Amino acid sequence: MNSNSNGAGRVVGTTQPYGAGALLLVPMVAVLASVGAGDTAFPTDSLSVNRRASIHGSVTFAGSVPDADVIDMSMHRFCAAAHAGQRVTSQPISADANGRLANVLIYVKEGLISRIFPDPVGEVVLDQRNCRYAPHVVALRTGQTLVIRNSDRTLHNVHVTAANNRGFNIGQPLPGIESKRTFANPEIGIEVACDVHRWMSAVIAVFDHPFFAVTSENGEFTLEDLPPGDYVIEAWHETLGTKTETVTVGAAGSAEVSFVF
Amino acid sequence: MTRLRGTLGSVALPLVLPGVLLGLVVNGVPDYHRSPLVHAARFLQDGKELYEIACADCHGIDGRGVDLNTVGFDVPVPDFTECSFSSREPDADWIAVASAGGPVRAFDEAMPSFGEALSVEQLQSIMDYIRGFCDNNRWPRGELNLPRPLITEKAYPEDEAVTTVFVDLDGAGSIINEVVYERRFGTRTQIELKLPFGFRETAPANGEWNAGICDVTAGLKHVLHSSLERGSILSVGGEIKFPTGNEGNGFGKGTGVIEPFVTFGQILPGDAFLHLQGIIEFPTGTSGETEVVWRAALGRTLTQAHFGRTWSPMIEILGQKALGGGSADWDLVPQFQVTLNTRQHVMANFGVRIPVNGSSQRPRPTQLLVYVLWDWFDGGFFDGW
Repeated sequence: MNSNSNGAGRVVGTTQPYGAGALLLVPMVAVLASVGAGDTAFPTDSLSVNRRASIHGSVTFAGSVPDADVIDMSMHRFCAAAHAGQRVTSQPISADANGRLANVLIYVKEGLISRIFPDPVGEVVLDQRNCRYAPHVVALRTGQTLVIRNSDRTLHNVHVTAANNRGFNIGQPLPGIESKRTFANPEIGIEVACDVHRWMSAVIAVFDHPFFAVTSENGEFTLEDLPPGDYVIEAWHETLGTKTETVTVGAAGSAEVSFVF
Repeated sequence: MTRLRGTLGSVALPLVLPGVLLGLVVNGVPDYHRSPLVHAARFLQDGKELYEIACADCHGIDGRGVDLNTVGFDVPVPDFTECSFSSREPDADWIAVASAGGPVRAFDEAMPSFGEALSVEQLQSIMDYIRGFCDNNRWPRGELNLPRPLITEKAYPEDEAVTTVFVDLDGAGSIINEVVYERRFGTRTQIELKLPFGFRETAPANGEWNAGICDVTAGLKHVLHSSLERGSILSVGGEIKFPTGNEGNGFGKGTGVIEPFVTFGQILPGDAFLHLQGIIEFPTGTSGETEVVWRAALGRTLTQAHFGRTWSPMIEILGQKALGGGSADWDLVPQFQVTLNTRQHVMANFGVRIPVNGSSQRPRPTQLLVYVLWDWFDGGFFDGW
């Protein structure tokens, strides 16, 4: 899995086309902000493209990874055949020999001055392949389309349990079936499960801003196109909890941050 | 909800009141959720193949449900081979649940929705296959369980409780409640107990009211014939009315009555339906007359979009005369039944019984009738709202 492979990378990319049109919009937005926004500051982060920065970082796991549960697929012919000869395990702590931790959600928790952002563009895919979810952690924007796909020649049901969004449970009995959903409210930790294959689980995170990422297999991430400012960055892992760091980003610069669980 | 199957057969259509339902222009066909099919599933139509692909992982190849240790939920899976369960509800209800998921009928969300993956035609093919898991065709199919009129006894045997209120709208005051308990036995038999009680104003109306129990009734009904292909069901039965009510206060007839009856239900095109019932009332004492009673109810079921609430407007025609002669009394009962909860196993019916001719020796007031029906086999009264 690559960092920014789903939501953040695509979304922030869409900020690039702003140029002359944005210059015309600036006075209008400034007026609107001054009239109705109260303590909301001038929304430079959504309109200015000349002063962008990024935060790059890594996440490591300092503890010892517990033994993984072995998945018994013998009752499920397709799944067993897809992993024939393999020892399939269930391990939420996906760390390599150097402790580099994948599937950690990284996002701006505090520090965004404005809440005006470009609309999300593109779809995010949650695939069911060989009786596993890919990716395991999915991040997207509110209102952004999540495509849930079955690539397996067996039945999967997609049972989504959410606290601040509408849950659902859809059956996808054949390969090629796709269902599309959006989430209206920000929420981290939306659970995805297949009741037919109970080892299958995934996590969805929904943000109302574009500054988030998921760590890659080497534990790295990048938050791109952030306006200059002071930010609280949070790292969230489904079983290890959260860690936060404060980061200052200068104009057109970059910052480094690391997390250790 | 009623799904229409088969042909009319030899229906007593002359009893149909022309134009009664002409005003009901609402589309009564369930508005199944349709989604674009962009995958290979659309080419599959074989019910067995579709069942084994889409259903068997949880419901089992044999329809008995898989071991819960192999799946990720702990809700017991129904046994499709158990005819008492699998024959009761019409295909449309099953398809509603398969298409929109368990919550559409207030069942557990462990049942996913397949409406985005499979068309209604494919779900129907699966249903046709599932029906085969019950290997005893003596169980009348749920499609023949037509909406219950206020007065006419339906032919389908049911597990339900009904409480009806009869309020006289003219003459001396009368508010009578009738509690009915019905229970099925075996494939085709049902017993029934009726306990009526209430309040009657002393006639002529003077503001003095009496409370009392009316004539208690016990009954038995047995299905002689049912055919989903023809859309018809025929039952015979009998009731014994015990003279438990005080005749002097108007709560009873003062004599026992034995009432053999025959009742017939027919599915009609356009989600319409017809009930017919004939009764002979034999008084056990010497004071009463043997009477003949005939009843018909014609209605149509309308379903709100996306497997929603069902509305069944009906018109009942009631006739009665003494076997020995005399003129017949005719009453009309316009009414509508509506499902009250998401499970659709609790419903109500509202109607008015209007005497058409008043020249009889049996003066009948105009009556307001309301019942609440609870199909207790489908869950507790407070379940499924």
